[in-house]
Amino acid sequence: MDMLLELDHISKIYGDLHAVDDLSLTVPQGEWLAIVGSSGSGKTTLMNMIGCMDTPSKGSVKLEGRKLEDLNAGQLADVRKNLIGLVFQKFYLVPHLTAVENVMVAQYYHSVVDEKQALEALEKVGLKDRAHHLPGQLSGGEQQRVCVARALINEPKLILADEPTGNLDEKNEKIVLDLFRQLHEQGTTIIVVTHDALVASCAEREIMLNHGVLVGEKWNDEKAREAYEAAGGKPASTGAQVEGAQTGETAIGFADPTKAAKTGGEE
Amino acid sequence: MTNTGMFFRMLFSAVFRRRSRAVMAVVASLVGAATLFCLAMICIAVPQQMNEEMRAYGANLIVTPTEAGADGKAGIDKAMVEHTTEMVAAKGSEKHAAYRYENVRVNAAPYVMAGIDVSEVRNLNHHWVVDGAWPSEGKVLIGRDVADAMGLQVGSGITIGYRASDNTSSSTSGSSGTDASGSADSSNSSDSSSSDATQSQTPSDQPTQDGRVSSDIMDTSGTEFRVAGIVDTGGSEDSIIYATNADVDKLTGTSRGVDVIEYSAGAEDLSALVKSINDMTSMHVKAQQVTKITSSDTRIITMLQTLFWIVSLVVLVLTLVGVGTTISSIVSQRRNEIGLRKALGASSAAIGTEFYVESAMYGLIGGLLGTAIGYGLAQWLCVAVFERSIGFNWWLGAASVVLAALVAVIASIPPVHRATRIDPAVVLREE
Repeated sequence: MDMLLELDHISKIYGDLHAVDDLSLTVPQGEWLAIVGSSGSGKTTLMNMIGCMDTPSKGSVKLEGRKLEDLNAGQLADVRKNLIGLVFQKFYLVPHLTAVENVMVAQYYHSVVDEKQALEALEKVGLKDRAHHLPGQLSGGEQQRVCVARALINEPKLILADEPTGNLDEKNEKIVLDLFRQLHEQGTTIIVVTHDALVASCAEREIMLNHGVLVGEKWNDEKAREAYEAAGGKPASTGAQVEGAQTGETAIGFADPTKAAKTGGEE
Repeated sequence: MTNTGMFFRMLFSAVFRRRSRAVMAVVASLVGAATLFCLAMICIAVPQQMNEEMRAYGANLIVTPTEAGADGKAGIDKAMVEHTTEMVAAKGSEKHAAYRYENVRVNAAPYVMAGIDVSEVRNLNHHWVVDGAWPSEGKVLIGRDVADAMGLQVGSGITIGYRASDNTSSSTSGSSGTDASGSADSSNSSDSSSSDATQSQTPSDQPTQDGRVSSDIMDTSGTEFRVAGIVDTGGSEDSIIYATNADVDKLTGTSRGVDVIEYSAGAEDLSALVKSINDMTSMHVKAQQVTKITSSDTRIITMLQTLFWIVSLVVLVLTLVGVGTTISSIVSQRRNEIGLRKALGASSAAIGTEFYVESAMYGLIGGLLGTAIGYGLAQWLCVAVFERSIGFNWWLGAASVVLAALVAVIASIPPVHRATRIDPAVVLREE
């Protein structure tokens, strides 16, 4: 099994604050990983480093075997547009472009604009009939689906989604998760940052951060875990010497506090 | 759709789907372009207008003969008048009038009579106030001083006598140039030789009263004329009797060249024109500049132009600040969009190009509308102040539109440069 992403003892340090503290993690091609943790736990900082939008203060990030720290700004931009699809909690659609134009923007910066293909992507997320509407004329769920269509239009190997269902109701959350499932079945690697226990539970694997430190890891799909370990994959780990940190080669399970936080501990 | 098509689609969307913000930027460019174009049009129109206005106050160049004939008064013949006029016309627009001066007697008192081409003199001296009509056959136009001295009115009869002895060489110096003297009065030339040249055509130092020489001789015979009109200029013209060239030829019994040609020349460098005429010694004429009018004319125009250019510069700076602030505001409102585009893989150069072209678009639209409005304003001002319309200067119009686009692009450089350095992580920094 090829490792798409390899994090080797990466840290992001702002003064005395360790936003991410000495994290090592490998993610194979086709895995669906959820990064969970409370606000300020360093999830988004970690995601920015994986997405070539931030650089670690220490350690190394490898994407498809290429060390990101060796790349300049232009090469990082190339990696972003060729390998990564981004889905945001706040959608970030260009307000004066229609849904299909927003999808075509990603094509424009990637290679060649193809309106037919963009319409097909919108059809895939169930929005073909809303293709020529401006974002302001779409509901939150529809906007997020446009965002997903934009993320998948260039067929990226890795989808990075930051709280993709954070602003959606249950119905739209389900639609988006179904889309992720389809992408995962097609072999796309998905890394989702989420507070939502339901979203996290859809992933094959979850890791938990607390104040930048890895404090737990669990697998929701045993077959995936076995395949991962068979390919030589190791549990995530941290070099941070703090209480509760997952420092060794043994994964520390966790009771999914995010789910408890969201549901009030009923489940 | 090609990528170029997508580029223009994004541009079109940014301009026309964000109308309120686009209107702000267009209005900022429009105001600047309108003001600058209006000022530039006036800067060009005012000197032309001033020149024309000044020319209406008579000649700025006079040409006199340098040699006297056998009788002391050969004058400038018709061919030479035409040749000199061609030289003046070659350097710019021109209007001219030629004068033949003769000493005559009215009720035995000596006066100066000028033979003129009525249409020429009328065309050159718009400032002359004529009560009645201009001279025609058998009718003369008399100066206000002459009329007052003899109690003449329009329609009165006047007997004018010509004595060849009054126009001999010795008396010539005191006869033929009262009008030239009038020109020289306003010439205030520092060139003593020009003064001398004028002197040779001006009345002698004999004392005068009410425009006539006081050495009256009791001889009242002559030819009967009617007073067609009375001219009042406030200058030496008020002491002269004007008749048509044909009447003067008939009165004197001879036809000869003119004594003075007055020009209202539109040449940019009048001194050079004067020099070129004077250098042609074979022409036997001497040109001199009426410097008082010319220098005051130039001084006023220079002052006005300087004022306009200073105001234009201030407006240009204000436009830069206005457009810069507006574009800066537009760019800052689109920081998230810029961050997103970078996150999608856009390079700083690609984003910079999009915003510069968009700014140029605002400048172009604002420039086009502003130039049209500026022309309207300039037209209105010229009609209100100068009572004449001005033509549209296409070169200036094109320059105005291009400048408006250029100013918009230059003004957008600092905010766009800052924006392209946005860290794309800002759009993900939402925990």
